[in-house]
Amino acid sequence: MSPRFFISVLIGILAVHLMPAVADSSQWETSLVQIEANRHKYEAFQPWSRRTSSNTKFGVVVEGNQIVTTADYLFDHTVLRVQKGGRGAWYEATLKWIDYHANLAVMTVKQTSFWDGLTPVTFANPVPATGEARLVRWSDGRLEVRRLEINRLRLGRGALTYVDLPKLELDSEINGAGWSEAIVHENKVIGLTSAQSRSKCTAVPSFFIQSVLDAVAEDDFRGLGYFNFYWKRAENPAVLDYLQLPGNKRGVIVTEIIAVPGHESVIRPKDILLEVDGFEIDISGDYNDPEYGKMMLERLATRGHWAGDKIPMTVWRDGASMEIAFELVKADYEKEYLPSARFDRPPAYLMAGGLVFQPLSEPYLKGWGAEWKRRAPVRLVRLKERSATETDSGCVVLSLVLPDPYNLGYQNYRNLALESVNGRQVSNLHDLRQALDHPQDAFHVIEFMPGAATRKMILDAQLLQNATQRVMSNYRLPTDYVDVMAESAP
Amino acid sequence: MFALLLSAAEPEKSVIQIMTFSQQPDWDEPWNARQVRRSTGSGFVIKGNRIMTNAHVVSWAKQIQVRRFQDSRPHIAQVAFVGHDCDIAILTVDDATFFEGLEPLPIGVLPEVRSVVNTIGYPAGGEQISYTSGVVSRIEIINYVQPGNRSLLAVQTDAAINPGNSGGPVIQDGKVVGVAFQGTPGLENTGFFIPPPVIQHFLKDVEDGSYHGFPQAGIRLAPLINPAFRDFLKLTDPTRGARIDTLTSDSAKAFFKEDDVLLEANGYPVAADATILYEGNQVNGGIAFSQAQHGAKVPVKVWRDGKELAIDLPVHVNTKDRLEGNQYAPPRYYVYAGLVFTPLSRDYLATFGQNWSAVAGIGLLYELFYRKNTEPDTARSEPVMLSTLLAHEVNANMEIKGRVLVDSINGKRIDSLADAIGAIESHEGSHHLIEFGERLGFECLDREAADLANEGILKTYGIQSDRQL
Repeated sequence: MSPRFFISVLIGILAVHLMPAVADSSQWETSLVQIEANRHKYEAFQPWSRRTSSNTKFGVVVEGNQIVTTADYLFDHTVLRVQKGGRGAWYEATLKWIDYHANLAVMTVKQTSFWDGLTPVTFANPVPATGEARLVRWSDGRLEVRRLEINRLRLGRGALTYVDLPKLELDSEINGAGWSEAIVHENKVIGLTSAQSRSKCTAVPSFFIQSVLDAVAEDDFRGLGYFNFYWKRAENPAVLDYLQLPGNKRGVIVTEIIAVPGHESVIRPKDILLEVDGFEIDISGDYNDPEYGKMMLERLATRGHWAGDKIPMTVWRDGASMEIAFELVKADYEKEYLPSARFDRPPAYLMAGGLVFQPLSEPYLKGWGAEWKRRAPVRLVRLKERSATETDSGCVVLSLVLPDPYNLGYQNYRNLALESVNGRQVSNLHDLRQALDHPQDAFHVIEFMPGAATRKMILDAQLLQNATQRVMSNYRLPTDYVDVMAESAP
Repeated sequence: MFALLLSAAEPEKSVIQIMTFSQQPDWDEPWNARQVRRSTGSGFVIKGNRIMTNAHVVSWAKQIQVRRFQDSRPHIAQVAFVGHDCDIAILTVDDATFFEGLEPLPIGVLPEVRSVVNTIGYPAGGEQISYTSGVVSRIEIINYVQPGNRSLLAVQTDAAINPGNSGGPVIQDGKVVGVAFQGTPGLENTGFFIPPPVIQHFLKDVEDGSYHGFPQAGIRLAPLINPAFRDFLKLTDPTRGARIDTLTSDSAKAFFKEDDVLLEANGYPVAADATILYEGNQVNGGIAFSQAQHGAKVPVKVWRDGKELAIDLPVHVNTKDRLEGNQYAPPRYYVYAGLVFTPLSRDYLATFGQNWSAVAGIGLLYELFYRKNTEPDTARSEPVMLSTLLAHEVNANMEIKGRVLVDSINGKRIDSLADAIGAIESHEGSHHLIEFGERLGFECLDREAADLANEGILKTYGIQSDRQL
């Protein structure tokens, strides 16, 4: 090999490695925008107190003068603004559509001049499951383009939901990612980042984004659906023998159905799930996806389906195969006994005579910090295991007592789960409010769930209204009642 | 002054140094035992040629050696009585000459707050006897660490009480006014001693040759301070009466009703904050019941339906919550086909490590400590764990490898270890079906293969018996 040939090959290799980063920059400068989200931030144990918070994240321009971004950190927003080119003027934006379970949002800007010079992106479908990609974001007015290694495409719990969704995992040395930066490959967007942990970056994959956007455009987005059952792998032959499944090991075993109000499950514990939506299920719970290979069966709940769709399944039950049609349950925080999230509404509460009542929810428990599962009262955390029913939809807690002569002797009580008031079962603040309209012989009888520090409190019904007004004034509460369905005031 | 007091009575001659060689069981693999451990403590001579010390000084003892003041000869001692709930034990010495020339120390009365007390013992940091002095800081009901789930009267002092002092006497006016027993980690100048009322209760209890313990009323009191609540219950006397909030024993359920107000217990007026005035100290009202002996009747006055009512309440030692406290009996277990079943207990949870309450998971904590109060209808008297899986071909394909709560076996709900054994041994079907709590599903075993493998598994893992009950 002559030296000249060797040098030219070397230059060629360097060019291959350096060129894409340079070539990428100009393309994404006109497609990536910066978003400023100004939000309310509420205090878990003093729900009438609100602070303000502001975050900066990113979005990509799509057809129809729209911006797509992740839904995270847009909740409880007051003002949304966007900026193009990484510097210069900020434009007021409005939210056109948002779904927290899908962790996606679509925004627009009324001022037409904003769209001048901007170029819509194309979402890749399918996404590459290996190889290199680039993360693109604005940083101090300059477009930052960083290299990442695609690790795998897998199914996992979504950022804001209990539904398992496809996730693109990438290895990276980048710091502070997870703010909906664009992940790009060649000329297309393959995902929007949703989280970063150490050297691992997670993104919402483009095929999922595109499927949601298409459904929204066609007015066919009915919310994410999911399978409301637990299953176990079928690796123990003794279990399959017990369930009388002949032949090779296959399928997974349903172990428990999660009750959802209004949903009657056609699947039963100890069913062996053999096929879902035409795909065979192996003993690890995977099916063979035509585009991405082995994927967990939960993917079939969002692969071209939305809540309410009926998915054909083949199950082995009582020694025989049978076909069933499983209706996908809609992901809905309010259908949970203890809602895992509650967005775009101020925290609900009812204050009566200094006693502050709040609906028990995961955001409430998160008032104990990141380690809330360990730090919050066990008897409250445990209620997360309960399923809502038609007659018992949730739980209200006495969260604290604002000291006043009226509630003397009760000031040390807090975090007590309510059972009934004046003999009426209380599942939500509306129940509580109604129950307080029916005192018993001039007293309000408040009863708490077993195991609480006290089972009962009594209040003087005649003095209640005055005491409530006095406490509101002393502690500067704007109101004594915020309903759970109240709109967030921007 | 302190030296003069001692030389007058020379109580240190009756203070004994105790050396214990102990071995605790392994609660995770309950047929195994941990390493032999050596520890030291103190004790003192009481009437009847006996030594009083702490229960925790002699727990799990394999051998107890005792030494007299300034005498290096060890003597072998035995535990005559032990009360883990009050952390007191009585020892006897095999060699009767041990007590020659030793005067038993008399038991005094509850010392007053701010009065001076002296501790004598053999704390860590030296071989010789040690004397410290301090004042009585306060007197109240506190949690006794030895059982972990019992609270009794205790005295706080600023006299130094260090490891090795445990079991030693606290002296005032030549009499024992306490047995040194525990401190509070992180707090300086706070030591605690067991006061005479608890010591005397223990001594009275063992007079019949066996120890029963401190009884409870089976009620949980709640303060009754709010005027509206007192009006609601038609209480006319504003100075006394606390509400009986929860009935925790069958015995209490037979005598009390919802919304009863406890006015007086064992002759003590009960204040609205659920305390009584005991020997000049405002303490939790529960002490009024624990003063009685097991099976005795305690006179109480309650307010019910606008009237005062007198009741003679029989009180009993609570034995139903033993799993929630530290136990001092060998762990119960049953091994079948490599599956190790053992009761869920505080001792078992401790196998998760020092930080066990955070590591074990909320499900197990709830099952052991909370369910009986929050959901009594579904609580189990002795929740059973599949603690570990001894690997063998017959169980190798099981996904669950241990540390899970057993819900049912062969369709029978498991409320105790006896239930688990019965459900397995009485089953005649082709497979054993074991279902677990906490959404962990179930597992199966081929019954014939499991029966055949059982003996070999025990042999492979060196387990002498398939059960310890």
